[in-house]
Amino acid sequence: MNTTAPQLQNALVQLLFALADDKLLLGHRNSDWTGLGPILEEDIAFSHLAQDEIAHAQAIYEFIASMTAGNADDLAFNRTPAQFRSAHIVEVPDEFDWATAMARKFFCDHFDLLRLNRLAKSSNPDLAALASRIASEETLHVEHVDQWIVRLGRSTPEARKRLQRALDALAPLAVALWEPVENEQQLVTANLYPQSTDLSFESWAAKLQHVMKTANLKLTLPPRASALKSKAGRAGVHTSHLAPLLNEMCEVRRADPGAKW
Amino acid sequence: MPLRDSILSALHSIPDPEMPISIVDLGLLHDIQLDPAPTSSTLANGSSHINSDSAHVTITLLPTFIGCPALDMIAGDVRAKISALPGVSSVTVNWLNTPAWSVDRITAAGRASLKTHGVTVPAHGSHLHVAGHDAPQTVTLKTSALPCPYCGSKSTHLESAFGPTRCRTIYYCSACKNSFEHMKSI
Repeated sequence: MNTTAPQLQNALVQLLFALADDKLLLGHRNSDWTGLGPILEEDIAFSHLAQDEIAHAQAIYEFIASMTAGNADDLAFNRTPAQFRSAHIVEVPDEFDWATAMARKFFCDHFDLLRLNRLAKSSNPDLAALASRIASEETLHVEHVDQWIVRLGRSTPEARKRLQRALDALAPLAVALWEPVENEQQLVTANLYPQSTDLSFESWAAKLQHVMKTANLKLTLPPRASALKSKAGRAGVHTSHLAPLLNEMCEVRRADPGAKW
Repeated sequence: MPLRDSILSALHSIPDPEMPISIVDLGLLHDIQLDPAPTSSTLANGSSHINSDSAHVTITLLPTFIGCPALDMIAGDVRAKISALPGVSSVTVNWLNTPAWSVDRITAAGRASLKTHGVTVPAHGSHLHVAGHDAPQTVTLKTSALPCPYCGSKSTHLESAFGPTRCRTIYYCSACKNSFEHMKSI
């Protein structure tokens, strides 16, 4: 990365924070379900997937740390809420409603896979290799959640009603996942975060709609432009849920800074 | 025995903490590098004896999954086993993400051993195609009949997409009424 201009490097760091922060918080939120999954197999599966998200976040924080001479643990646990680049959808609690947890995972996993596949074509070979490695695991996440969406969509009226309600409630926040980080367009131009029609907002929406059709559900996504109107998570403007979430997540580390395990 | 051979043999004796085969048969070993050992003044054990044959060994491994919780344990086992070998002064263990590990790396001996433990492995070349991600995502479970490792029957079905570890699924055989595990195509 030594040859990359400082502004470009900073934009890339912001983009990677957005990816890692989304994964860390989604993994943390979903890990709350451990022991509470609807059936034993799913409890194990969902816990595995939550652990995967946190492991992916760790790998990306380590990559950022290697770019910035920082420390991955500090990046994960010692930043203020305003320094986070997470989207609002991973900050809001799911109130232990399985439909909400699945709807959120549906939007986030499809978006994560798309981001990773774009980064897998990055002009930075080390980043491309890491993204490609994580994408192979993310594919399993997408398969898992697609199966749940179809399963619930074809299930009882109660299951359909609750999932539809969750999808409707989260759709605006799902589109806000697409809020760009500062100077994101420069990353696209520099081929660090390449854009292509098969990895676009439209292709993401088409994949979601394909699953919706199979599940006999309806999804109305707000236009992408609505995500660009006001500054939100990618600019460090967060919901009131983030600060308490970080306080809980970092409580042990802050209780004994520098402790060795 | 040349040092490289005794290192390989020692690695063969280290079982994966979550799979009933060695880490070599699981395909985790990427590279063994031997370098001249540091000078006597930097020897970790404080020995004043200078062994001109002693080497610094770098073992490079590939994780099955980035977040596999067994990685630290495996690295610890490797360090302990290899540093105990004569001719080895120090050991470094690295984890590498590229090339990515896949089930294709499991050796024939590993596959045979897994089968006797009730774990089947996807055929060579069946790992997931990821980079393109151009086709609409499939939403059906891939339940094509796998032969049961115990009785060979194909009356089997996917019971759970996630088994005891994230790299395994659980299948059930309706013929001999055993459950068995199948490694994911990654």
